[in-house]
Amino acid sequence: MKAIQHISLAALATILAVGTSSEASAQCRSFTKKRCLPKLEEYVQNDNYNTAVLIPGDEAELSLTFFGGRAYRLLVCGHPVLGDLNFQILDARGNGIYDSTDKEAGHFDFRVANTQQMTVRVQVPESSAALQHEGCVSIMVGSKS
Amino acid sequence: MQTELGTKNSEFQAMHTPSSCRLSGAWSLGALTLLSLAVIAGCGESAPVDDANSTPIQEAQTLPEEGMMPTTRTSALKKIFHAVPSPIETALLLEASGVIFSTTDLHDASLASGYQTTGLQAVNLGIYAGDLSYATIFNRNQEAIQYLNVARRLADELGVGDLIDGALIERAENNRDVRDSLIHIVTSTFYALNARLKENGMEDVSGLIAAGGWIEGVYLGTRNMKLATDELKIRIAEQKLTLGNLHSLLASYPSTEDLAGMMAALEPVETAFAGVKIVDHAADTRTAEDGLLVISGGPEITASNETLAAIAEAVAGVRNYYAN
Repeated sequence: MKAIQHISLAALATILAVGTSSEASAQCRSFTKKRCLPKLEEYVQNDNYNTAVLIPGDEAELSLTFFGGRAYRLLVCGHPVLGDLNFQILDARGNGIYDSTDKEAGHFDFRVANTQQMTVRVQVPESSAALQHEGCVSIMVGSKS
Repeated sequence: MQTELGTKNSEFQAMHTPSSCRLSGAWSLGALTLLSLAVIAGCGESAPVDDANSTPIQEAQTLPEEGMMPTTRTSALKKIFHAVPSPIETALLLEASGVIFSTTDLHDASLASGYQTTGLQAVNLGIYAGDLSYATIFNRNQEAIQYLNVARRLADELGVGDLIDGALIERAENNRDVRDSLIHIVTSTFYALNARLKENGMEDVSGLIAAGGWIEGVYLGTRNMKLATDELKIRIAEQKLTLGNLHSLLASYPSTEDLAGMMAALEPVETAFAGVKIVDHAADTRTAEDGLLVISGGPEITASNETLAAIAEAVAGVRNYYAN
């Protein structure tokens, strides 16, 4: 009987793991469209899909080229269950240009004078909850002239 | 709010609030069963429908639970994304740099039905996406609609044709004279397409589409370098940075024959771009009068006319290799 219980537990845990993971992944596309994309407002979105399912303590990084003469909105959009996400922008040498810590907006608007490579680094805050949640995090870039 | 889960009905009901998907204490088989059922039924929505066509009314009905789940992963990770400019971004840069639109530079739409492999379909979808974006930015509405239809055909071959359905084409036709609307339709469609491919474990296909779009953007920008403005020349030279982004993107996926083929096909392009000189400087920031932060500094990028001619030839080579 105990063996059956163990097998049942293992099977259910597997179902739970597979089911929740794929479900969360499937939801991210919809989550991003409904809750993140509108925040780009008048900025033309880049069509790169930079979205992942993250947990507390995770980091995400996006490297891309920003073109001189264009204005950008960098939007870091995560599910509220993950708490306030922090993000930084680093230049090609790794020097910090912007840090969202202690700032309320989940986005950063800026203009680039000269074309350059920059890296966006995002941190999901640690959580002490007994059961951790995973949630969608999307890094979006919109631009305008 | 933290909620302990037991077998009592009241506690099971509590699972249906988003902040209650949390567990502590001893587990039992019954509890695990309830948890499994509750997670599947209560902590998320069903799989999303067509991204490109949902309406604001549907959006307003989003439940707060969407996009989160209790996790089974315990160790933290670092997720690295790589991105390349979208074809629309590149087309906007080309337009601002004085490129002259020429229909003859666009890929022959009638060839779209001749690509039989997934790799060729993906790369050519990217190439046609470049043409679609180019036509859209230059207000060549008839061509834009034509290339949207071509994209639909290839997307269909790749199993994501539902994202460019008849309703979307009709919406584009109804908005054919409103450039911003067409731009939105194109960007949101290809964003949804990329998302779907990644969600379906077809990231390599998404990478090949991005490669095709990058190739076509540079191809269109280099068709007439003798008449190119200084700004356009700099814009072309700057693509050395985005080529690096593209290389990183393609290298980030598990290798396939098609990805390896693309990497090899791009080697002459990388050789040509090696002639572009980049002198690195740290970035600097200042605040503009309108309050916007301006990021200046960064690299100085220059290229000789010979280097630009070599880039034009190399890009045409890889573009025609895939397109013809």
